[in-house]
Amino acid sequence: MYDETVAVIENRSLTGGHFLLSLDAPRQAPGVRPGQFAMVRILGRSDVLLRRPMSIFDVQARAAAQAGSPRHAPAPRIIQLLYKIVGRGTRMMAELKPGDKVGLLAPLGHGFFEEEYLPRAHESDEILHVAGGIGIAALLLPAKQLAEAGFKQRLFFGARTKDDLVGVKEFKPQVRAMLLATENGSVGYRGFVTRPLEEYLTKHTNRKFLLMVCGPWAMLRATVELAKRFRHPCLVSMENRMGCGLGVCLGCSIRVQGTGHEAYQRVCTEGPVFWAEKIVWETEKTLGIRD
Amino acid sequence: MMRKSKPKRQVPHNGRVSGGVDAGRAGAAPAAEFTPQIEIEIAGVRFQNPVWTASGTFGYGKEFAHLIDLNQLGAICVKGISPEPMEGNPPPRIYETDSGMLNAIGLQNVGAKRFLSERLPFLRTLKARTVVNVFAYSTEDYVRCIEILNEGEGIAAYELNISCPNTRCGGMVYGSDPRLTEEVVAASKKAARYPLFVKLSPNVTDIALFARVAEGAGADALSLVNTFVGMAIDVETRTPRISNVTAGLSGPGIKPVALRMVYQAARAVKIPIIGIGGIASAEDALEFIIAGARAVQVGTANFYDPGTSLRIVVGIRDYCRRKRLHLADLVGSLRIR
Repeated sequence: MYDETVAVIENRSLTGGHFLLSLDAPRQAPGVRPGQFAMVRILGRSDVLLRRPMSIFDVQARAAAQAGSPRHAPAPRIIQLLYKIVGRGTRMMAELKPGDKVGLLAPLGHGFFEEEYLPRAHESDEILHVAGGIGIAALLLPAKQLAEAGFKQRLFFGARTKDDLVGVKEFKPQVRAMLLATENGSVGYRGFVTRPLEEYLTKHTNRKFLLMVCGPWAMLRATVELAKRFRHPCLVSMENRMGCGLGVCLGCSIRVQGTGHEAYQRVCTEGPVFWAEKIVWETEKTLGIRD
Repeated sequence: MMRKSKPKRQVPHNGRVSGGVDAGRAGAAPAAEFTPQIEIEIAGVRFQNPVWTASGTFGYGKEFAHLIDLNQLGAICVKGISPEPMEGNPPPRIYETDSGMLNAIGLQNVGAKRFLSERLPFLRTLKARTVVNVFAYSTEDYVRCIEILNEGEGIAAYELNISCPNTRCGGMVYGSDPRLTEEVVAASKKAARYPLFVKLSPNVTDIALFARVAEGAGADALSLVNTFVGMAIDVETRTPRISNVTAGLSGPGIKPVALRMVYQAARAVKIPIIGIGGIASAEDALEFIIAGARAVQVGTANFYDPGTSLRIVVGIRDYCRRKRLHLADLVGSLRIR
């Protein structure tokens, strides 16, 4: 993990107020593991101080810069962040132009680490990725890693409207099938994504699945409930407001199984990825992210 | 003891050097190299510089070890330690405000015993001093916590947290009642094996009163200020932004008020003052020092810019060199016309 000032390569505007930010981060990109995140700081503002936590959507090599070394795969140097304008921090990020600088603390957190889930993945007939809205951003890297290793995968992706179904193009080559859902029915299944997921699980009760999930609290909770009912292992990527991303402010702690000072764990350090049963889902909605 | 006397450099204390106006001109002799002294001493403890990290913003130090050179800090004030582990408040615990942030963490910590066995050994290896922030709900528990911590080696001082606004019937009750302040400081001082600093609450009408009470009860130094009680509301849902409803405000937005309180406290007592409140640059730190602080603590800035403290050390040294003053000459050197 490094704290660097990095340059914006591209800040591509997508549909529905979503953006794909590409940052030139040669020191940080090679160390990124699936499910990890970055903290982005808007520089030169004395009113907006805290960094914004963002899932690392993808990591890429810059082909042109690596032209001289044909024998080796080019080293990754671009960190891509897929984000949606939800508050003043992301509104400022949307203004970023190529060449602008941002503060980048990355890579951070305990992600979808293969050494922890591989045994479960091997036992499974298929890996099911379940994404709600911008939660898709946390799932591409694990899907790419699993695709490379030859695992069968399927994506269930729900969002408000078809404009919110971003990242589909990148996801498509990684999975055998994608099932899309929108709340207004503008594309795919009309309603929450947990409905088609439930149908799929009901139809294939003889199969074993491993679920990887990221999305808003209610969607996570409903998905975890299904995983529990059908007895499939389930990994969730959590989000929360964060002060530091380093594990010191304790601002991002969420309620987990445990007592005393172990009743809370930090999304930034012990997470963002947890086994579903670790989290106390019965608590009130606690993750009110607006910025 | 006899020492061979070395030719001493002239160190003028008025901030001016004879011939200084000519120093930059072509042909003028360059001013003699001046090495400012920024080491400080509080209650018999030497700190290599006056820039410390504030409790609750720097974990137990190790979390920053791969980002900055911890050996260059004056001291690390660790997250508030209570006699028993504490679980903290339910989320949401933080919220960003203009030029600041609100927090109501609720002092989640590993407890005094585990601090000694798991965290102190690393801190002891550093050149930066370890100041242990102590928190409890009753005078007996403050004493009990200190008694546990007394077993630890390599602690520079205790910082008695009588000012946390985020725990029910907790610290701030002590910090906003002069009688309780006196009681807990006197009892803690009696129990403490190491020097006792007292961290004051800004949520009082007359900070000088509390400074004097703490001094009278035996405090070796005062650190101020802790966070200001504030709140924020989500108007869409008409719910508080923080589960605790009220929360502590920190960050650059509080600096002018914190500075005023440090100035008032410094004038009220003889013991050293450690200034805290929105410090994010060397200039900020110097303001506190000129107002009367012998040391400063960097807090919220650690969250968004971990390099802040070390830049402040460099900036203070540069300033002292430029002004040809030692740090001690700067403390409380405010000139009021």
